[in-house]
Amino acid sequence: MKLFKKKKMVATNEFNQTVEGTSLTKEAWKRLRKNKMAVVGMVVVIIYALLAIFADALPLYPYDEAITQHQNLRPSLTRSAGELMLEQRLKNIYFQAWRNGELAVSEEDDARIREWVQESRTNAVWDLVYKYGEEARANGTFEFSRSAQRQIDRMLEDIENDIQITVNHLYAYDADGERYEVANADYQTLLNLYSTLLNVEPSLVETTLRNEVRTSVSNQVRANDETLEGEDLEAAVELEMDALGEEGYQERATQNLVGYIMQLARREAERDVSAQNSEGTITFPYKGSFELSSGMTAEIEASKMHERRYYLGTDYLGRDLLSRIIYGGQISIAIGLVGTIASFVIGILVGSLAGYLGGRVDYYLMRFVDIMYGLPYMLLVIICMAIFGRNILNLFLALALVSWLTIARMVRGQIMSLKNQEYVEAARSMGASTFHIILRHMIPNSLSVIIVYSTIRIPAFIMQESFLSFLGLGVQAPYASWGSLIGDAVSSMTLYPYKLIAPSVVMVVFLFAMNFFGDGLRDAFDPQSKNQL
Amino acid sequence: MSGNSTILEVKDLYQHFPIDNGGIFKKQIGAIRAVDGISFTVKKGETLGIVGESGCGKSTTVRSIAQLYKPTSGEVLFHGVDLCKADKKTLLKERRNIQMIFQDPYASLDPRMTVRTIISEPLNIYNRRGLLDHKWTKDEIEDRVEELMEKVGLNKLYKNRYPHEFSGGQRQRIGIARALALNPEIILADEPVSALDVSIQAQILNLIIDLQKEMGITFIFIAHDLGVIQHISSRVIVMYLGKIMEISTSEELYKNPKHPYTEALLSAAPVPDPKVERNRKRIVLEGDVPSPDKERHGCYFYDRCPHKMEFCSCNIPPMFKAGENHEVACWLYDKEGHN
Ligand SMILES: Nc1ncnc2c1ncn2[C@@H]1O[C@H](COP(=O)(O)OP(=O)(O)OP(=O)(O)O)[C@@H](O)[C@H]1O
Ligand SMILES: [Mg+2]
Repeated sequence: MKLFKKKKMVATNEFNQTVEGTSLTKEAWKRLRKNKMAVVGMVVVIIYALLAIFADALPLYPYDEAITQHQNLRPSLTRSAGELMLEQRLKNIYFQAWRNGELAVSEEDDARIREWVQESRTNAVWDLVYKYGEEARANGTFEFSRSAQRQIDRMLEDIENDIQITVNHLYAYDADGERYEVANADYQTLLNLYSTLLNVEPSLVETTLRNEVRTSVSNQVRANDETLEGEDLEAAVELEMDALGEEGYQERATQNLVGYIMQLARREAERDVSAQNSEGTITFPYKGSFELSSGMTAEIEASKMHERRYYLGTDYLGRDLLSRIIYGGQISIAIGLVGTIASFVIGILVGSLAGYLGGRVDYYLMRFVDIMYGLPYMLLVIICMAIFGRNILNLFLALALVSWLTIARMVRGQIMSLKNQEYVEAARSMGASTFHIILRHMIPNSLSVIIVYSTIRIPAFIMQESFLSFLGLGVQAPYASWGSLIGDAVSSMTLYPYKLIAPSVVMVVFLFAMNFFGDGLRDAFDPQSKNQL
Repeated sequence: MSGNSTILEVKDLYQHFPIDNGGIFKKQIGAIRAVDGISFTVKKGETLGIVGESGCGKSTTVRSIAQLYKPTSGEVLFHGVDLCKADKKTLLKERRNIQMIFQDPYASLDPRMTVRTIISEPLNIYNRRGLLDHKWTKDEIEDRVEELMEKVGLNKLYKNRYPHEFSGGQRQRIGIARALALNPEIILADEPVSALDVSIQAQILNLIIDLQKEMGITFIFIAHDLGVIQHISSRVIVMYLGKIMEISTSEELYKNPKHPYTEALLSAAPVPDPKVERNRKRIVLEGDVPSPDKERHGCYFYDRCPHKMEFCSCNIPPMFKAGENHEVACWLYDKEGHN
């Protein structure tokens, strides 16, 4: 009842309507909307955020799936990976032919190619010989050598037949014909299943598994203490195994078993799908459940491997660059956000403590901040990363640890100036508690400044992460971030410029958008422009 | 004016602000003696004015009374309860009856709150702590806010607006409504009109006078402007350098100022009639107000007094009676003739 009463403002007569006020935030929003650049920036940021959030739902190739034949493919909107592979092969063949004098080239161009080879302008050379080669082949003045022809034929065959299969779920049937998912099955079931698949005694499989677990434990022990040898090592491993117990063993063995069975199923699926392909009874891309000849059922995705399209090309391991850029954006944006939020929290805590308590607490906290300011900032992060190991979490921590300083100072200043505002005194004279004052008066009044500052900080974090990744201290493979993508691309910049350009453009656009948005926010919240509505 | 019962008594109040040397250990190297030993009583229903030059400690006095600063020493007795020594709970309970109106209508309202939130803030605070007569419901508070807005002459339909959407005078009305919310017995008004335009000053003053007549609230009213003080207050305190120079009824004070400082102050105020204005005698004080960071052993006004005597420099004058309801801190009025 009450809810409705509040929402609906009934006009009893046309002069008796409650007037809605415009809060400062609303006004700021209005001003922001007038700032075109800021709105564009905001929209771009939102698009990026959506892409990063819903990356898993996008029709992308897995960012960490490396296909060896697809290394270093050029970006192309129209041509499939197979065509690009073939073109690259042809380029190599034509170039070899030119070297051997089998491909006729005009004198002028011959000199040019020689010059380019000197300058290692590989792409230009390739393009030119390719043009000549295709022409010559069309004219009938050039024929492939036998080995070249064989290479081409084999590649064409591969393109026709290579199938990429992903097994998403694998189901098997127990003695009663009941279906179960392999990934969730228990040790005994899997042991039986695996031995039936291999057609061996379960005890044999079990022995192998026990040995495997023991080996991995032994490796672990040796990694922890390299000085152990001989009997000491044996004893230590024995101790570890005891600690692991039967349950621990089964847990590890189950993991291994699932891996083996999945691998087996994949190979089987590959074989079955290929067979069906050559019979022409399957169409690609295929997605759905598939009966394996061993009696298991698999949910698979199958596609012709070389029909893939890489709109932004691939990297040196044959991974899709578009997918890597989007997933890299996920990490880069996350670093920007997490770093900002972490520094936000630490900064607000330290800053409001110093500002509100004042006196000696303030003095010591601020001197600590001063000292931290004096230390070379990037060096600290690098040392942190070197000490605590290079993973994403540590990267977040290291960046947050050194970047709360400015926020702390800013919050302190804000709180100190707000502390003496008359409305805070008014609240105190009404008997408001400190908590109430901080929560209801100080935070709402300083939040806009802090938020604006944080928005401006996000690009800085992304830049820092890129810098670290560029140095090889940032995100580690198989993960990617914009920085690491750029870092990886730099070494082959002349040969594959697209690898550098794509992530750089993506990152620069985001940073621009973020900066425009942040600037817009700052202007919008600026009390000085309060009346320029 | 109803009765003569004392509602508030200030006894020997000192408020010193320490000056430290800015080092790590904050060694105190002196103090600003903003209020340096003042005593007075406030009677129920009256309006007590406080005048004095800038920096003489008027604001500090009322802030100390409202316990925004912990007084260095002295007592503030409200209905006989010493607020300076009261525990938190008592203080909260008593403070409900002591509210403030601030000088700056722009700074004293939180820019991020609607008028409704601002006016209901004291109600909500006391309601949450269970210090009101009963637990108020949201609707009751809403009704109270509307009632208060009407009482101070604001359109209640504007309750969802924010302070920056109002004029200075309207904002001051919001401040007054907020001070009235808890039905206080005494309101401390720290220069409530000096930031306003003259025409609006009159409106606000009249509003305060009306409210007082209607609700019988006691006021302590600070102003620079002697005209304003004369218009509104029944008794006046003249302060100088954190000390009281003269206390009197306002009529008596204006007709018959006793203290040399009061005389100078009155002679400096402009008179509306040009003829009188041209011909009247002015007392011009030499020098500026001295800094309040020194301890004084003589009359606080000694440096600038046109009638100073040697005796004044080393004896602090007590309050001498100079008529009915008229006291003055000047050796000139010492009946027993110490000097
Ligand atoms: N929080 C504080 N810390 C230190 N000194 C203060 C503080 N508040 C006031 N003072 C000093 O105390 C003295 C009296 O100040 P106060 O604000 O009471 O003067 P006032 O009479 O209200 O002046 P005005 O008419 O200009 O408002 C001044 O010298 C001022 O500098
Ligand atoms: Mg003041």
